[in-house]
Amino acid sequence: MDLPTQFLAQPDALILDLEANSREAALCALHAELAKSPAVKDAPLFLHGLLERAMLAPVCIAPEVALPHARTTAVERVVIGVARIAPPGVGFDAEHPQIRLVFMVGTPKQQVEEYLLSVAAITRLLKAEGIRDGLLAARTEAEFRALLARGARR
Amino acid sequence: MNGTRVTDPAALLLQRLQRLLRWRLWIQERIQLTEWQVTLLWAALAGFLGSLTSLIFSAFAEGVHEVLTGSSAGVVESMRHLPWWGCLLVPTLGGAAAGLVLLYGERLTRAQSSTDYMEAIAIGNGRIPVRASLVKSTAALFSIGSGGSIGREGPMVQLAAVVASILGRWRQFTGPQLRLLVACGAAAGIASAYNAPIAGSFFVAEIILGSIAMESLGPLAVSAVVATLTIRVLTSAQVMYRVPSFQLNSAWEMGPYVVLGLVTGSLAPMFLRSLKQAEEFFLALRLPIVARLALGGLAVGIMAVNVPEVCGNGYSVVVQILNGPVIWKVLLGVFACKWLATMASFGSGAPGGVFTPSLFMGASAGYLFGAAVHAVWPAGAANPGAFALVGMGAFLAAASRAPVMAIIMLFEMTLSYDIILPLMLCSVIAYYTAKGIAGHSLYSESLKRKTAAEPDPELAAGRVQDLMKANPPVIAPSARFAAIAEMFLSVRVNNLYVCDADGRFLGAVSLHDIKPYLGQPDLAELVIARDIMREDFPRIGPQQSLGEALGRFLGVPAERLPVVDPVAGRLLGSLSKGDLLLVLVEKRKKPEPAV
Repeated sequence: MDLPTQFLAQPDALILDLEANSREAALCALHAELAKSPAVKDAPLFLHGLLERAMLAPVCIAPEVALPHARTTAVERVVIGVARIAPPGVGFDAEHPQIRLVFMVGTPKQQVEEYLLSVAAITRLLKAEGIRDGLLAARTEAEFRALLARGARR
Repeated sequence: MNGTRVTDPAALLLQRLQRLLRWRLWIQERIQLTEWQVTLLWAALAGFLGSLTSLIFSAFAEGVHEVLTGSSAGVVESMRHLPWWGCLLVPTLGGAAAGLVLLYGERLTRAQSSTDYMEAIAIGNGRIPVRASLVKSTAALFSIGSGGSIGREGPMVQLAAVVASILGRWRQFTGPQLRLLVACGAAAGIASAYNAPIAGSFFVAEIILGSIAMESLGPLAVSAVVATLTIRVLTSAQVMYRVPSFQLNSAWEMGPYVVLGLVTGSLAPMFLRSLKQAEEFFLALRLPIVARLALGGLAVGIMAVNVPEVCGNGYSVVVQILNGPVIWKVLLGVFACKWLATMASFGSGAPGGVFTPSLFMGASAGYLFGAAVHAVWPAGAANPGAFALVGMGAFLAAASRAPVMAIIMLFEMTLSYDIILPLMLCSVIAYYTAKGIAGHSLYSESLKRKTAAEPDPELAAGRVQDLMKANPPVIAPSARFAAIAEMFLSVRVNNLYVCDADGRFLGAVSLHDIKPYLGQPDLAELVIARDIMREDFPRIGPQQSLGEALGRFLGVPAERLPVVDPVAGRLLGSLSKGDLLLVLVEKRKKPEPAV
């Protein structure tokens, strides 16, 4: 298992049933949790990178899933945070009004390959049969983490 | 079974692009055509086309000869059968016709620069004026077809180089690439003319490019081989000079060969000087060009009445000398007359080459020397024909100042390996002797003069901006994966430059970075150029020296680097590693400008 997939199996931050009423609020909340990781060296810069990227082009990969990401000097390794937003979810753009799952990824600036591996691992995870529905339905953090680990191993 | 069927046209297009890109990568990874390999392919095409032009020129020259003399035999044979007035009339008419072509051709080519292929390769930009070259070659048809004492290889090489120049311009080659392709054309011309691919390559490498670095020699060799193969397939061309088996009978024979090296090394500068003096003499007459060329033809014709061997490039006489025996007194007369006839043709400005006449001079001088040695010391020169062969190489080495080419050419033209030891020794001695006597060669003088007059801007400045290619393919930072894939398919690059709306360079997207993910459409919908571009992609400034630019390429697998304005950060163009290496190789061998 490559390093980004390992990070996905054991994310640096996890929030279940996040209460948020906007894209920015959801991003800020997950970012605040992720910023606690020692791998995040400059939290404001990381947030700036995430928001800037989200402004440039859509970051949604499925009707209920968003993948905000940034390649930035603010992190010293790949960091991944996952949030499940409480129903009905938040709108990220006109085509994605009810995002429920947010996978936040930060990758060091130089690591293009790791960035692509991380994003590919997440899209693969969500394609795995039953994983997305399972993540949305998981009752406990342990159950959620177990599903992440199972999906990442595939 | 997964029966999901994609119906969205955009998704279908993306899938198709990804599939095509995967195919491109699959092919690229197996064939791996680098810029150098592509250059070899173009060199092969230049060789093929160059050989065809050589064949066409030869056919036309023979046609003109037949019309003027009424004979399809060789030049010397035809002149031998003409009445005395015919011998006078044909070269005179041919000279006048060549002059008329040049005179009226000038009107078509007034604004065009020098047609010299050597200049175009060595110090120019590789652009040879087409019309001017055609005019000159047409004029050469008359001077050669009428029996002028001049070689046909010059126009053949010129035409092959012109075709290569047209090819390179059509493909919008950069300056160094174009010069290399023209050099390939010239190599093809020589290889076609002498059925000598190695010598063709080395002639251009040693004399014109001044380097046998593989960056240039590789394409030259490919071009020359293709040209020779084409000639051999389309004609019955065989070894140019069939010679009896020569051998070194004793080590003592090396002594006379050493002296022959000194003799030919002294004769060659005299021959070159005499050609120059003849040129000055004819120019001093201040005759119109038609009259001047007619006068040169008449001079050849006067000698041809009694010595028809003076006509043409001397090929048939060389064959006779090599296959001997020849009466030395007769040969001495032919040698003297041929020297004068070449002075008349060359001096009057008859278009053509003096390469083959130089071979005649060397063969005659060698035979005469061998015959003289044989007369006083038979064991020292058992076969004067062998001395003729060695003399050819030595004279060529001395006149062209390219001993390696001369040795190889002699070997290729005769396929006589037995003579290689004296040939090598004699050629080297002749080369150093000639070099000690006069500082210029058959070719270097005009190149030096032109270098002083028109320094090559690319080489003079030696800056990146002189060599860069403008308008490289770029993409916006927000470009989606589909657009990136489409761009990679439409342009043959491995790195796409990412620029913002103001043209500022942001980084580069590498084809190999995205390669493993081409089968993931979900990823393709998410990723944009900015996500995967490498901001630290090496770049160079327009004012940086070529040496600094080479340093930037070290350790970078890229074939091209972006040229970026260091102040505004704008992308100005791209620099090819191939172009850079070619120019640096060329720069190493440039003659110092005349003071």
